[in-house]
Amino acid sequence: MPQIGSFALLLALCLSAYSFVAGILALAFPGRGSERLGETARRAGIASFAVVFLAALVLVVAAFTDDFSIAYIFHHSNRDLPAPYKFATLWSGQEGSLLFWSLLLAAYGLVLRLRHKTDNRLFAYASMIIAAVQVFFLLLLNFAAHPFAIMQGSRPADGSGLNPLLQYPEMVIHPPMLYLGYVGFTVPFAFALGALIMKYPGEKWIHITRRWTMITWGFLTCGVFLGAHWAYSVLGWGGYWGWDPVENASLMPWLTGTAFLHSVMMQEKRGMLKTWNMWLIFSTFMLSIFGTFLTRSGVVSSVHAFAQSSIGTWFVIFLAVIFAACLAFYIKNRSHLRSEHKLESLVSRESSFLFNNLLLLVACFTVLWGTLFPVLSEWVQGNKVTVGPPFFNRVNVPVALLLLLLTAVGPLLAWRKTSIESLKRNFLWPALGAFAAGVLLISFGIRPWRDVSYLYSLMTIMLSVLVGLTVISEFVRGGRVIARHTGQNLLASMVQLGHRNTRRYGGYIVHFGVIVIMIGFAGAAFNQDKEQEMGYGEKLNIATYTLVCRSYTQDDNPNYESEWAVMDVFKGGKQIATMNPERRFYKASQQMATMVANRSTLKEDLYLVYEGLNQDTGRPIIKAHLNPLVLWIWIGVWIMIVGTIVALLPNAVPVRVPAPARIHAAAPVGAGD
Amino acid sequence: MIWLICALVTASVLLYVFYLPGKLQLGPEKTRLGYLRERREAVYENLRDLNFEYKAGKFPDADYQSMKLSLEEEAAGILAEIARLEEAARLHRIGRGAV
Repeated sequence: MPQIGSFALLLALCLSAYSFVAGILALAFPGRGSERLGETARRAGIASFAVVFLAALVLVVAAFTDDFSIAYIFHHSNRDLPAPYKFATLWSGQEGSLLFWSLLLAAYGLVLRLRHKTDNRLFAYASMIIAAVQVFFLLLLNFAAHPFAIMQGSRPADGSGLNPLLQYPEMVIHPPMLYLGYVGFTVPFAFALGALIMKYPGEKWIHITRRWTMITWGFLTCGVFLGAHWAYSVLGWGGYWGWDPVENASLMPWLTGTAFLHSVMMQEKRGMLKTWNMWLIFSTFMLSIFGTFLTRSGVVSSVHAFAQSSIGTWFVIFLAVIFAACLAFYIKNRSHLRSEHKLESLVSRESSFLFNNLLLLVACFTVLWGTLFPVLSEWVQGNKVTVGPPFFNRVNVPVALLLLLLTAVGPLLAWRKTSIESLKRNFLWPALGAFAAGVLLISFGIRPWRDVSYLYSLMTIMLSVLVGLTVISEFVRGGRVIARHTGQNLLASMVQLGHRNTRRYGGYIVHFGVIVIMIGFAGAAFNQDKEQEMGYGEKLNIATYTLVCRSYTQDDNPNYESEWAVMDVFKGGKQIATMNPERRFYKASQQMATMVANRSTLKEDLYLVYEGLNQDTGRPIIKAHLNPLVLWIWIGVWIMIVGTIVALLPNAVPVRVPAPARIHAAAPVGAGD
Repeated sequence: MIWLICALVTASVLLYVFYLPGKLQLGPEKTRLGYLRERREAVYENLRDLNFEYKAGKFPDADYQSMKLSLEEEAAGILAEIARLEEAARLHRIGRGAV
C-alpha cells in the first residue's frame, strides 16, 4: 500500500509540473498547436486531483487498517483510537496535513479547470498559477515531508497514538475548515495575478472570484472560531483566545481577506483601488502560506503547533519566490492598474471602505509584529522576548472599536459624497439608541471610569447597538420601498429585499453576527475565577453559584484512564445542574488532557476544570470560572455563517417600479449595494 | 500487483491528458467593447442602487440629483465609446464583405 501512495505523489508532481510548464508555453507562444497544448495542461491539472486523492485515500486506509509500517501512521494513530480520529489522522501531523493541503488545492483546481469556458484565457492563467503552487507542495511531500516513509526495523505492534489535545470532536472539523480557508485564497490570488500578467481588461475577474473569495472567507471564519471553541473547551485555561502564534496565523489572512472583500466593491462599483486590491489579495495568499509555515515549521512555540521540523526553509524560499513574482509583474504592468476615479470626499462610502481597510491592516500588522517579535528579538539580541496579550489588546481593542463605528457608518454613507443633511437623516435615531444603551448599562452598574476594560466593554456594547440599529434601519427602509410597490407586509418585503440583493443584505447579516460576537467579547471584562481543593460535600462559592462536590472517582478504558469529580451546582438554594470536570491520561501517547465541564447560558458560562489530585490529601483541585456572555460569540458565528450563505445566493430578478416624478424613464428597483 | 495498479493509473492518466479527439472549442477573446459593456452594466447598477436608496429616504433631493447627474454623465461617456466601436466594427465587416 505505501508504495501506491508514494507512486501517486510522484505522478501528481509530474502532472502538476507538466500543467505548469505546458500552461506557460501555451500562453507565451500563442499560435498553431498552442490551444491543444493548453488543453493538455488543463487536463493534467484535472488528473492531478485524481492522483492526489488516491494518495490521501491510501493514507486514510492505512490509518484504518493500523498499518504501522508507515512512520506517519505509527506516530499519529494507535489501534484503540476511535474511528473519527483515525480519519482525522490525515491532517493530524505535518506530512498528512501537507498532503491534505495539496488535496484541497487539487480539488479547488479541479472545479476551476472544469469551469474554464467562462473565460478560457483568464482561466488558463489561473490554472497555471495554481499548478505552480501545487508543484511546491508536491515537492515538499515527495522530498521533505514524505507521508509514506517506512519505519526502520521490525513493524511495531501498536502506534504512539494521536496527541490527546487533538482527540476532541471539533478537531475532526477545525483543521479542514481552516485549510479550506487557507487553500481557498489561492484561487482569487491566481485569478488576480493572472489578470495582472495578461493585463485583463475590466473587473470581470473579480465577479468570477467573488464567490470563491466569500466561500473561502466563510471557511476561514469557521476555522478560526472552531479553533477558539476548541481552545476554550480543551485547554482548560478558561479563555478562547490567547494571541497564540498559531491563532494569530489564522487571524492574519482573515483580516486582509476581510479588507479585500470590502475594498473590492470599490473596484467593481467605481474602478478604484485596483493596485490596493491586487496587493491585498497577494498579501492574503502570502499570509495563508505564512500561516501554514508557522503551524508546521515549529519556528514559534504554540499549543496549536503540532509539528517541529526543518521544512521552514522551503516555505521561506517559496514565500520569497511568490513575493518576487508578484512584485515583478506589478512593476511590469502597473500602468494597467490605474484608478478610473478619484476619492471625491472624505465623507463617502469609498472613504469608509478605505478607513476600514487601513484599520484592518493596522490590526494585521500588529498581530504580525507581535507574532514574529520573539523570532526577531532572538535574531537581534540573542534572547527570545515574547509579547503577551496586553500588547495585542492595547492596539487591537481600539482598532476593533473604530471598525465597529465604521461598520455602523459605512452603509449609511452615499457613494462619492454625503451631505450633512443626509448624515443627520440617517444617524440621529441609531445614535440616540446607542446613547440610551450606554445610559442603561451605567444604570445597571457598569462603571467605565473604574477600569479601562469596563470602558471598552461599555463602548463595545454601545457601538454594537449602533451597528444593530443601522442594519435594522437598512432592512426596514428597503422593506418599506418594496412594500409600497408590492402591497406585501413589511416582514415579507424585507425577506424579498434580501433576495433581491443577497450580497448586500447577506453582508448586513454578517455584520449583525459580528456585533453579537463583539458583545460576547465585551463580557470578558467581567470574568471571575476561583480555585479550591474539594473533599466530599465541600462547597465553593462563585458569584451567585454554589458548587458542592458530591464525589470524585476514576475510570479506565483501552484508550485512556480518567479522573473526574461529580459537582452539584446550586443557585438561589436550588440545584440546577450536575457537572463532571475530568482529566484524562492517554495510554498510547502517555499524555494528560483536560475535559472541561461547561454550563453555558446566554448570561454566562460556568466553566469547571479538574486541575488534578492533591498528592498529600488525595482530594481533587477544582477551578471554577464564571465567563459572562461567551455563548454570544458562538451564536454570532452561526449568524455570520448564515449571512455568508445568504450573500452567496444568486439575486432574484428586481421589481420594476416607476421612478420619482422628476425622472422621466422608469427605472428598475434593485436593492442597493 | 502494486506495479500493475501503478501502471494502470499511469496509463489512464496519460490517455486522459493527451487523447484529444475533435476540434477544441474556445470562448471569444475579451475586447475593449466587452469591457465597456461590463462598465455600462456597472454604472446602470449604480444608478439603480442610487434610485433605490433615494426611495428608501436615505438622501435629500439635492444630493440625489447631483449624484444621479454624475452617474448619467459617466454612462453617457461609456455609451458614446460603445457606439463608436460598434460603428467601426460594422464598417469593418462591410469592408470585408466588399472584398
